[in-house]
Amino acid sequence: MLQEAQSVATGISGADIALAAKYIAAGLCMGIGAIGPALAEGLAAAHALDGMARQPEMQGALLRTMVIGQAISETTGIYSLLIAIVLLFVV
Amino acid sequence: MFEQLAGMLEHLGQKRIAVLSLGGFEIRFDVMAMIMSWVVIVLLILLALWLRRGLRQPVEEKPNRIQAALDALVDILKGQLADNFASERLAIMMFPFISTLFLYVLVSNWISMVPYLSSPTQDLNVTFGLALMVFIISHVLSIRFKGVRRYLKGFAEPYAFMLPINIVGEIAKPMSHAFRLFGNVLAGTFLVTVVMVKFAPIIAPPVLNIIFGLFFGGIQAFVFAILAVAYINVAVEE
Repeated sequence: MLQEAQSVATGISGADIALAAKYIAAGLCMGIGAIGPALAEGLAAAHALDGMARQPEMQGALLRTMVIGQAISETTGIYSLLIAIVLLFVV
Repeated sequence: MFEQLAGMLEHLGQKRIAVLSLGGFEIRFDVMAMIMSWVVIVLLILLALWLRRGLRQPVEEKPNRIQAALDALVDILKGQLADNFASERLAIMMFPFISTLFLYVLVSNWISMVPYLSSPTQDLNVTFGLALMVFIISHVLSIRFKGVRRYLKGFAEPYAFMLPINIVGEIAKPMSHAFRLFGNVLAGTFLVTVVMVKFAPIIAPPVLNIIFGLFFGGIQAFVFAILAVAYINVAVEE
């Protein structure tokens, strides 16, 4: 009863809170979900660079493998992007 | 100009859906994705016809400019994509498919740089169709190379109780394959549109288009094709 009265007084309804929660959740989902892939891709690039510096003649193969590995480790980031998009546009 | 751009932001993420009622059930089409994939197909066919006209007959003669460029293109496709196949026989067999997949995804990703056109690959149905194609081809090749008995036995490797995990892993392959391309292209499109509308309508689009269209589009097309190669390799390997 008290809560209802308060919400009438301030003009904030349940739908507004749900909307705010949606945006916060999408932002958090993308922000936290981007940490892992970013670290993983940086690690892959660093080690590929190590290998290239040691054996410059292997550059082509290392680059190709690095790109594949980065694309695969990127998958979790893409999943969190999809969840953020679903939160924003579908839910 | 600014009102038109604001309209773009309002319709971001929306789709034009055509519904075809057939007896009891409905079939839904994403009109824009269908039109754009046909535009890409027609573009590729016209390019191929135009390039073929530039060839000097017979082909064994001294190559002209177009011929040299096409030779370089085929060499790149062969060296970067088809050479990753496990065996020479597989590479010769799958080279046309993998190259077609790569060129289609590449042109699809790049076509969103043209104003008023959108990538067909920013629709999940298109990427999922491509991923399912790779999935079916890899399993058919697996049966053809290993035989039905060894193909079925492959699901129970290394232990019999791993069967559910192996099946889930097989189903997850086309899903992650499709979502990866879709998510990357969609994120690029959203970012370009939002930055263009909200911050800098004139300066930002070319720069962002170079980063997201040319660079990431090319990388993602390459990754899509090379993952198809990897999935087929894993499926047929002894």
